[in-house]
Amino acid sequence: MTSLSIEVTDVYKKLGPNQALAGVTLCLEEGGLYGVIGPDGAGKTTLLRTIMGLFHPDEGRVAFRIENKAASFDQARPLIAYMPQQQSLYPDLSIKEHLEFFRDLYQISDDVYTARRQRLLRLTRLEKFEDRPAGQLSGGMYKKLGLMCALLQTPSALLLDEPTNGVDPISRREFWDLLYELRGEGILILMATAYMDEAERCGEVHLMEAGRIWTYGPPRTILEKEKARDFAELFVRRAEGSQGK
Amino acid sequence: MNTPTLSAPRRFIWGRALSIARKEIRHLSRDLFTLSMALGVPVFLVIFFGYVLDYDVKRVKLLVVDQDQTRVSRELADIFASADYFTPLALRPGETPLGSLEEGRAKAVLFIEPGFARDMAKGQSSNAQIVIDGADNQTTSVIASYLAGFKTPPFGGFFQRRVFRPCLRTRFLFNPELNSRWFVVTGLFVVVTGIVSVLLTALTVAREWETGSMELLLSTPVQPMEIIVGKLAPYMGLCLVAVGLIYGAARIGFGIPFNGNHGTFLLACFLFLTCTLAQGLLISVLTRQQQLAMQFSNLTGLLPATLLSGFVFPVESMPVFFRSFTALLPARWFVVACRGIFLKGAGVTDLAVPLGVMAVIGTVLVFLAVKKFKKDLEP
Repeated sequence: MTSLSIEVTDVYKKLGPNQALAGVTLCLEEGGLYGVIGPDGAGKTTLLRTIMGLFHPDEGRVAFRIENKAASFDQARPLIAYMPQQQSLYPDLSIKEHLEFFRDLYQISDDVYTARRQRLLRLTRLEKFEDRPAGQLSGGMYKKLGLMCALLQTPSALLLDEPTNGVDPISRREFWDLLYELRGEGILILMATAYMDEAERCGEVHLMEAGRIWTYGPPRTILEKEKARDFAELFVRRAEGSQGK
Repeated sequence: MNTPTLSAPRRFIWGRALSIARKEIRHLSRDLFTLSMALGVPVFLVIFFGYVLDYDVKRVKLLVVDQDQTRVSRELADIFASADYFTPLALRPGETPLGSLEEGRAKAVLFIEPGFARDMAKGQSSNAQIVIDGADNQTTSVIASYLAGFKTPPFGGFFQRRVFRPCLRTRFLFNPELNSRWFVVTGLFVVVTGIVSVLLTALTVAREWETGSMELLLSTPVQPMEIIVGKLAPYMGLCLVAVGLIYGAARIGFGIPFNGNHGTFLLACFLFLTCTLAQGLLISVLTRQQQLAMQFSNLTGLLPATLLSGFVFPVESMPVFFRSFTALLPARWFVVACRGIFLKGAGVTDLAVPLGVMAVIGTVLVFLAVKKFKKDLEP
């Protein structure tokens, strides 16, 4: 797999009256599993969209390195798979039709497609539902289909925006098993989530609030440093602290 | 400051355009509402308007007041009675001729004054007059033009044998009876396909923005040109089917003659639809909201097609500004092409200007839609 690393340096982005990103710096190395954790409105989606080139930073820069050499966004883009937070699949198209659509968009050859489709269907356990339209899938299945579409190409990086939002606990665990398996293959994964318990599953977490990352590091280290039992407690304490001021 | 550099090759790949097209066809095949709008509405409108919009005035109630009561005066009255255009009425007891006009029992009155035959025999000008109810000026002008027609063969003999020499001869080519239905239905092609096609594509890109699928699409390598082509193609096919249905309705339902070449007609339809479908896409790309796109497409599709295309009001009689403005409207050129092909049998060379202008407008609109296609989510 082609190695890809992403460096976000001091990025500012204003959306309307809101300063969505207020100086975000983030270093994402190949093969890492990164979590951006924060309450709603912290700027997680804006950060992911900025990395994906869907927003242009007002200040600061997003840089890419392919095989340790500086690369342009257009060179890096085909290596990045992205799964948006909002429902972005076509409700009337079935799982099979979605996969075929993305196969053609990514210009994947038939043999590669057949092999990859088999594997993804097995991993996601969606084989039985191939003909079901996306609009009739459960929340978890829908998210898995989104992930399948993103993984149909062989990405070097995977950006997931709240992929487990609205998904039942069992499906969430399955989803995480899938992510671990992908990480084993060396894919760089960056996921944004508002679920604090998911933070502990990441290799490195970046805690975000009001457009800034206020702390980052391996989950255990952060909890020990902040003397918190878990991330939920940490965020609640922080929120109360800021109200108290 | 960093905007991502755009150095990687941005090639147009047919496979990707095709995948967009295939997806659109799948959407369409499941969307009965859109399908019926695209295919049913045009045919319905053509049949509906074809029957309702009939400028021909037939069986005008003509009150004949023959005060001469001679063979010659009866001959004159019979001329009017024998044509399908007038239904002769006689004066009722106690009714005045003008009273019958006021009541609306008659639309026109033919007065033949006493001494009509005598004056005519002497070669003097003889008096017969027609009074027309001017309240409905559309009908009035039609009746007046019929009267002009009565001076020409086959009725002209009456006048020629006698006193007046017709000073004006008018012969109508291509549509000798000036059958307005031929005129209306060939014009309807423009209005109907124009309105429906703009609306069809106006919703497609806006829908992707509203449902959120655009965000996913933008994160794939697909290029704006591929999206535009992929979205144009299926709707072009659908609209051509609709044109085929309208053609069938026009030929079978209204007996409109087709004197031209079907290839030329297809080319004209293709060019016109490229303009209108691209216009819809441009609206969709710019508004990114279905509601707004729908209003814009109604405004920019319906109004020019009905009012400025020459379908209802002749372009020649418009003020200079509007006349020049219509040159920018594909609908105006398609009206010219349609009527030319159907009624005059015009070929590609005869229609070089309308076809050429539509090709240019279509290309510019496609180019603009691609150019204005947003590749990011910036507001």
